[in-house]
Amino acid sequence: MKPENILEVKDLKVKFPVTGGLFLRKVAEVKAVDGVSFELRKGETLGLVGESGCGKSTIGKAIINILKFSAPDVEITGEVYMRIEDKEVNLLELTRGEIREYRGMIQMIFQDPYSSLNARMSVGQIIEEPMLYHTDLNKKQRTERVSWLLEKVGLQTEQSKRYPHEFSGGQRQRIGIARALSTNPKIIIADEPVSALDVSIQAQVINLLQELQGEFDLSILFIAHDLSVVEHISSRIAVMYLGNIAELGPGERIYHKPIHPYSKALLSAVPLPNPKLKNKERIILKGDVPTPMNKPSGCGFRTRCPIARKECADFIPELEIKEEQHYAACPFV
Amino acid sequence: MKEKKENNKVSTSLFRKRWKKFKSLKRGYYSFLIILTLYLISFILPIFIGRDALIVKYNGEFYFPIFKYQSAESLGQNLQGEANYRLLKKQYQEEGGDNWVFMPIYPYGPNENLLSELEGNPPHPPSSEHWAGTDDRGRDVFARLAYGFNIGLSFSIIVTLFAYFIGISVGGTLGFYGGKIDIFGLRLIEMWSTIPFLYTIIIISSIIQPNFILLTFVLTLFGWIGITYYVRGEFYREKARDYVSAAVSMGAKNKTIIFRHILPNSLTPVISFAPFAIVANIFSLVSLDFLGFGLPPPTPSWGQLMQQGLVNIEYWWLIATPLVSMFLTLLSITFIGEAIREAFDPKVYSRLR
Ligand SMILES: Nc1ncnc2c1ncn2[C@@H]1O[C@H](COP(=O)(O)OP(=O)(O)OP(=O)(O)O)[C@@H](O)[C@H]1O
Ligand code: SF4
Ligand SMILES: [Mg+2]
Repeated sequence: MKPENILEVKDLKVKFPVTGGLFLRKVAEVKAVDGVSFELRKGETLGLVGESGCGKSTIGKAIINILKFSAPDVEITGEVYMRIEDKEVNLLELTRGEIREYRGMIQMIFQDPYSSLNARMSVGQIIEEPMLYHTDLNKKQRTERVSWLLEKVGLQTEQSKRYPHEFSGGQRQRIGIARALSTNPKIIIADEPVSALDVSIQAQVINLLQELQGEFDLSILFIAHDLSVVEHISSRIAVMYLGNIAELGPGERIYHKPIHPYSKALLSAVPLPNPKLKNKERIILKGDVPTPMNKPSGCGFRTRCPIARKECADFIPELEIKEEQHYAACPFV
Repeated sequence: MKEKKENNKVSTSLFRKRWKKFKSLKRGYYSFLIILTLYLISFILPIFIGRDALIVKYNGEFYFPIFKYQSAESLGQNLQGEANYRLLKKQYQEEGGDNWVFMPIYPYGPNENLLSELEGNPPHPPSSEHWAGTDDRGRDVFARLAYGFNIGLSFSIIVTLFAYFIGISVGGTLGFYGGKIDIFGLRLIEMWSTIPFLYTIIIISSIIQPNFILLTFVLTLFGWIGITYYVRGEFYREKARDYVSAAVSMGAKNKTIIFRHILPNSLTPVISFAPFAIVANIFSLVSLDFLGFGLPPPTPSWGQLMQQGLVNIEYWWLIATPLVSMFLTLLSITFIGEAIREAFDPKVYSRLR
């Protein structure tokens, strides 16, 4: 593990078997994540961008090793190293008991603010819960910290006695953020924390995350489905397509000079603030996204790639370095 | 100012919200109040309906026969064994002394043979003394109905509680652990559910005299399966939801996940089916009593009264009164169940309001 990294994901593959028939035999599999490697540096925000269903949430859940619980049949291979002080641990190798002591270090903000909060618990209880498992704070200290966190995310202390159904989607998302921060984690996986919010509130939440990042020295894996959201917050961006990373590089360059044909198309879909200034051509991809259950052979993008050739069916392109710090998974650009 | 008001608003948990909605569904809520009141009263029934006097004043001393056995002699009555307080009351009135007897409003016990006080052969038709007449052994039918209500409802509530305890435990285990445990568990349950309940109980009853505990046990053994499937399904679904994943990602242990997270969110079917399960169990007990495989005599029972009535159809009150009692009870509980189900429905508008 390089010293500047706090998290390294190596060749992560996640497959959900599809069972059928009388004896529930495996009849197919969903390759939700199909060989993904990246690293998260200490204190940086890495943006992870891709269309719906390309496997972003699955990567997040695989990293914190919770998929085995909700989907016991899942097959996960690869390695996820996390650095804790001077130790490196492979999170995927640990049992549920062993991983427990590291859980306070790495927390996730879940994508769906409706299903990720227990409707039977008050907001105070929800935010307090991680502290029960990872800190020695007494009741009074925990209550104080809950109030402090609520204020940090822009809610009022009095609201801790309320229940989730009394909050809007955006407020719930903030509750999720407060919960993720409650144990003072080093790494936050933020799974589309703003896509459920109004544009005006999106900016608030992003600013909030940035502020907290400075304050707590957080490293954030920021998942989003379009480039416009991650541009402001991410130092580097990874663009995903159908379970693979298509391009990975500094945010600035991905945003202004993408290399991979998929990133180009994705970028051209971002609404520009001033159309006169940048009169770029809009690339409309043909066809639909194939499902991860029947991925095309070879390059996963080849059915929609504007520059696809015959050879593209025969090999799976690996991320290769194109410029300094800038990688793309296509040999023809 | 406005802001402040907003903050002071009392927060409502999901339960309180549902309770409020339940209260707004008048039919179910009033049924609930009526059944609850009647059931609570039925625990202190001897104060209202019974053969034992509440207070007797005899020769300047007070006696409380409702709590303590009094022999007839000790109260100056010329009888063997326990005093008969109705006769004692008449006796004291005729004597015109200082002595008096304070009886329950309806002074007849459920198991008391009234042949010595009534003319003609039993069953006696309803009269102003005996509101629902007497049965074939000269016992007061109204008193039997009232005591039978407590026994029937208690029985079915106990059976429902036990059955739910087993059903929730088994269903929760299958749904939570899934996999092989689930598949084998389900097959075992399917095998178990093919055993015919009625035959089993008839066979058992023909070998040993059934009693309250045995019947509770047998009905529980056959009554837990329905709810198991529901709880299993709920656990299975809730387990894959994000709030549970969040709990796992915090490092919560299985015990916490089950009892703090999944179980409270899986109780909707349990609560909304409970009234219907109670109805079904009351019905089972009445049927078993009717067939003669129920609680041992002389336990006051609705089913047993109906059976007497059926043997001789001209004693219509033996059929009509238990039937009406049962109908009203089951209807009220069904109303309660309907309102509970409605209260748990997230839709705001209700057709019951
Ligand atoms: N528990 C599961 N069982 C089976 N398939 C699953 C499961 N979870 C996810 N998948 C599949 O894996 C693929 C990737 O899902 P994922 O939720 O990671 O997408 P995503 O990139 O987060 O999309 P979105 O932007 O819509 O959130 C999808 O095709 C999805 O159907
Ligand atoms: S490998 Fe072929 S199909 Fe894939 S992106 Fe490059 S050109 Fe397109
Ligand atoms: Mg997602």
